[in-house]
Amino acid sequence: MSRGSISLAAILWLVIAFLVLYPLSILLTESFKIAETGGWGIGNFLEFFQDAYYLKTFGNTLFLSTLVLLTTTVFGVPLAYILARYRHWGKTMFTALILLPIVLPAFAGVFAFIIFFGKYGTVNLLLMEIGLVEKPINFIYGLHGLVFIQSLHMLPFIVLGLSAGFTNIDPSFEEAAEVEGASSFRRFFTVTLPLCTPSYMAGAVLVFLWPFTDWLTPMILGQVDFLPSVAYINIAYHFTDMHRKYMGIVSVTVAAIVCITLFLLARRWVEKRKYTGLSKGTTSEGRVIEPGAWVKSGAYAYMVFIAILVLLIPVVLGLAAFSRTWVFEAFPTNWTLENFRLILLESPGLIKNSFLFSGIALIFGIAFGLPVAYLIVRTRVWGKDALDFVITLMLAFPGIAIGVSYLLAFWKDIPLARYWIIMPLALFARRLPYFLRMAHSSYLQLDPSLEEASEVSGAGKIRTFFSISLPLLLKGVLVGVVMFFIMAFQEISTAVFLYKGGWETLPIGIYLNWHRGMEFGIAAAMAFLMIVITFILLLIISRIGGGVLKAAWGAGEK
Amino acid sequence: MRKKNLTATIVTVLSVALLLTPIIGAKVQAADKLGWVGPVYKELSASLTKGFKAYYKKTYGKDVDFTGVRPGGWPVAVDKVRLWAGKPDADIFLGAGAPAHELLKDKGLIVPYKPKNWDKVPAEWGGMKVKDGDYYWTCFAPWIVTNLYNQKVLKKLRLPPPKTWNDLLNPIYRGNIVHTLPYASGTMHEAIEILIQAFGEKQAWRYLRLLAAQLARFSTGSTDTTNLVKRGEVPIGVAQPQMNAMAARKDGYPVMDLLPEKTILVPEAVALLKGAPNEAIGKIFLDWLFSADGQKYVLEGRYFAASTDVKFSAWAKQGVGMAKHAKKALGVDSFWDLKVGFIKYDVDVAKKRWDEVNKKYEHEIYRKWGKLKSSLFLIEEVEEEIKEAKAANADVSKADAKIKEARKLFEYDGKFAAARLAAAKARALLVTP
Repeated sequence: MSRGSISLAAILWLVIAFLVLYPLSILLTESFKIAETGGWGIGNFLEFFQDAYYLKTFGNTLFLSTLVLLTTTVFGVPLAYILARYRHWGKTMFTALILLPIVLPAFAGVFAFIIFFGKYGTVNLLLMEIGLVEKPINFIYGLHGLVFIQSLHMLPFIVLGLSAGFTNIDPSFEEAAEVEGASSFRRFFTVTLPLCTPSYMAGAVLVFLWPFTDWLTPMILGQVDFLPSVAYINIAYHFTDMHRKYMGIVSVTVAAIVCITLFLLARRWVEKRKYTGLSKGTTSEGRVIEPGAWVKSGAYAYMVFIAILVLLIPVVLGLAAFSRTWVFEAFPTNWTLENFRLILLESPGLIKNSFLFSGIALIFGIAFGLPVAYLIVRTRVWGKDALDFVITLMLAFPGIAIGVSYLLAFWKDIPLARYWIIMPLALFARRLPYFLRMAHSSYLQLDPSLEEASEVSGAGKIRTFFSISLPLLLKGVLVGVVMFFIMAFQEISTAVFLYKGGWETLPIGIYLNWHRGMEFGIAAAMAFLMIVITFILLLIISRIGGGVLKAAWGAGEK
Repeated sequence: MRKKNLTATIVTVLSVALLLTPIIGAKVQAADKLGWVGPVYKELSASLTKGFKAYYKKTYGKDVDFTGVRPGGWPVAVDKVRLWAGKPDADIFLGAGAPAHELLKDKGLIVPYKPKNWDKVPAEWGGMKVKDGDYYWTCFAPWIVTNLYNQKVLKKLRLPPPKTWNDLLNPIYRGNIVHTLPYASGTMHEAIEILIQAFGEKQAWRYLRLLAAQLARFSTGSTDTTNLVKRGEVPIGVAQPQMNAMAARKDGYPVMDLLPEKTILVPEAVALLKGAPNEAIGKIFLDWLFSADGQKYVLEGRYFAASTDVKFSAWAKQGVGMAKHAKKALGVDSFWDLKVGFIKYDVDVAKKRWDEVNKKYEHEIYRKWGKLKSSLFLIEEVEEEIKEAKAANADVSKADAKIKEARKLFEYDGKFAAARLAAAKARALLVTP
C-alpha cells in the first residue's frame, strides 16, 4: 500500500462523502423529524405503515413491480433466446432496436403511446374508421397501460442479462444433456435456464425496482397511488405543510430502502450461485442453432413485433415533431418545421443546458471514475471494495431520492443548490455507476504485466498510464464516456427537483411543454431531437465497438 | 515520488474541472436580472419574457435575464413563497387570483407598489375585487372560471354539452369528466369555493362526492385537464380558466367553454415579493406590464388583457395576433364589456380556509376515490333492484328505508364504508324482508 494510493483513496472518499453519503444521511435524518413537536422519532414511519392510504400506495407499487417483472420475463425469455441462439439475419439491428428503450427517456415513450394508443389516438381512430368499434377502446389509461409502458421500457434489462447468459453457457453442458437423451424442452428448463438464473436475476432486480423509481409515467396516465408519485406530489406540491413533506421524505426513504435491500439480496444471491462448471470456456458467439423454417419465421415475427412496439416511440414522436396539431387524425396532415424553429432559434438555452450540464458531469465522471477504477483494480488500498460498493449502489437508488436529498442537503448550510453547478453535480452522482462499470471492466481486461513491463523498463507511473494503460483502456473508457453522457442527457427524476428558471434541460423542457404547457408539437420535437442525439451517440459507441449491450450493462456484471 | 505525481495529476484535473465551471457561469451573469415565481402558463411567461426583454433593451440599452419558475398551480406557487419566508428566490409573484394574493399580503410576503397605469384596471367588477386598494396586488389578466368540453368527441358520443353544475351529475357523463385536485390548481380550488359559497357547505361537499364518481380520472393540474380535453382523451374538463378554450381553439382543437350558472371572476394578478433581490427591475417590469405594450404581450401570451383601454378590434388591426381570437372567444371588444352574473364571493372567507379546503378534498374524496366509487355504485345497483322489486309488487319498504340511509351516509356524511354496508343490508332486506 503506497502513500499515493492512500491519499488518492482519501480524496475519492471525500468526494463520495460529500456528494453521496452526506445528502443521503440528511434525507434519512429528515425522515425521522416529527412536524408537530419539532423533535425526532420513528412516528412518521409508523404512520406510513399504519395509514390506509400510504400502505395502499406501498402495496400498489409492489403489485405493479410484480406485474412488470412477470410481463418482462414472459416476453423477455423467448426474445433473449432467439437473439442469443438463433442464427439469423439482422441480429445486430434487432438487438440494437430492442435495447433502444434503455437509452430513451421513459416519458418519451409514454407520450408516443398516448398519441398512438390514446382514446382518439391512431389505433382507435383507425378501428373506428373501419367500423370495428363504436366507442374508443381504453388501451393505456389504467394499470394495464402502466404495466405495458413500464414493461417495454424495462424489457432490455431482462433481454440483456439473459442473452448474455445464453451466450456464455458452455455448449458442452447442453450437449451433455442432449447426449444423455433429454428432450430439448427438458434441456432448456433443467440445464439452460438454471445456468442463466444469475444473469437473469441481475436484470430482474432492476426491473422490479423501476416502479419504485418512476414517478412520471403513473402521473401522466392518471394513476398516482404509487409510492414514487405520491412522494413526488408530497414534496413537489407542498412546501410549508411540514408533516406532509416529512411523509413524502419517508415515502422516498422507504422506496430507497426497498430498492437497496432487494439490490443487495439479488447481488448476494447471484454471487452464491455463480455456476462455475468444469468449463473449458466458451466461444465468443456461444452455442448457435440453425432453427427450422417454422420456428425461424415464428422467431422473426416475434422479434418484428417487439421491434415495432419499440420503433413506435421514435416514429410517432418524429411524426408529431413535424406537425403542429396532430389530433383526431390517424396520421398527421399538417406538416411544419415550426416546432424545430422554436426550439433551435427561440429557446436554444435548453439544448445548451443539456449539453453543458451533461458535459460537465462527464468531466467530473472521468476525473473521478478513472482513478476509482484504477484504485479498485490495481491497488490493495483498504476500503476500496466499500468504495466500489457505494458507487454501484447508486444504480439502485431512485432518482427522486437523490433529487430530494440534494435539495435538503445543499440549500441552507451548504447553499450549493442556489447555483447551477448543482445540476451537473447531481447528474454526475446519479449516473456515476455507468462510467465506473465500464472503466472498471476495461481495467480488468488490461493485463497488468504490460504495465509492469513498462515500469520495469524505467517508465514512471504517469508515463505508463498515459503511454500504456490509457491507449489500451481507451476503447472501454470511451464507451463508458458516451454511455454516461447518454444517461446524464436523459435524466429527469433528479433534475426536476433541482432546476430553477433558466436551468431547464431538454427532458425538463419536454415535461414542461407537454405536461404543464400545451405544446405537444414542441415537446415531441424536443423528444425527437433527444432521440436523434442519443442515436448518434449510440452509433459512436457501436463504431468504437464496445457494443451497446456491454455499455448499458457494465461488462463488470456477468 | 511517482505515485505522488499520479495523485497530484488527478487532484489537478479535478480541481481544474471545478474551477472552470464558475468561469463559464460568470459569463452568463453579465445582464441585469429579474426572476418571477407563479402559476402562469408557459405561453404567457414565454410571451412576457420576449416582450420585456425587447422593451428593456430598447429603453435601457441593456439585456435583462428574465427567468422564472412555475412550481405548479396557485397553491403550489403560494406555498413556495411561504417557504422562502421573506427571503425569496424571485422578485415577482406572477399570476393567481385574489385569495392567493390576499394570503400573501396577510403573511407579509408581498409589498405594495402602484404601477404606472394602475388606474386603467377597474377596482371592482361584478362584486369581485380586481386590484388591491393598498397597491399590494393588481390584476393584469382577468378571466372567469369555466368548464370545457370537446365538441367533436361529445358529438361522437351523442352527448349534449353539460350546461350547469348539476348537469355534470347526469349518469350519461359518467367516465367522461376530468378535473384536478384543489392543491394542484387554483382554478379547481376556486371552483370548490364557488360551490361552497353558492350552495352552502353541506350541499357543496355532497356535490363534490357525487361528481368524483363521474370522473374518468384526476388530472395533475389545470393544463393537464385542458390537454386531456383537447386530445379527446376525456371530453369534459371541470374548473378551467376561460382563456384555455380560446388558446386550444387557436391551435385548432375543437374545444368550447361553458360558463356554469354559478361562477366568479378571477383577477389573475401580479405582486412584488418582499425582500426581492432585484426590486428596482421588478418595478420596471410592473410598469411595463400595465402599459399598452405589456398588455399586448399578455394577450399574445393567450390571457385576456386587463387594461380598460384595450379594444381587441383595434389591436387586431395593429397586428396583435391573439386579438382576433379573443374577440371571437368573448364576443365583445374588451373583457370588461362582458355581461356576466357572478355569485357573491367572500375573498376573506376563501383566504382563511385556503389550506383547509384543499386538505379536506384530498383526504375525504381523493384518497378514498376507489371506496367512494364502489360505495356509490353499489347503492345505485341496489336502488335499481328495489325499483324492480317494487314493480313486481314486493314489499320494499324496509329496503327502501335502508337504501335511503345508505345514500345519506354517502352523500352527506362521506362515510363510504358505512354506506356500502347499509346498501348491502338493504339488498339483504330485499331478499328476506
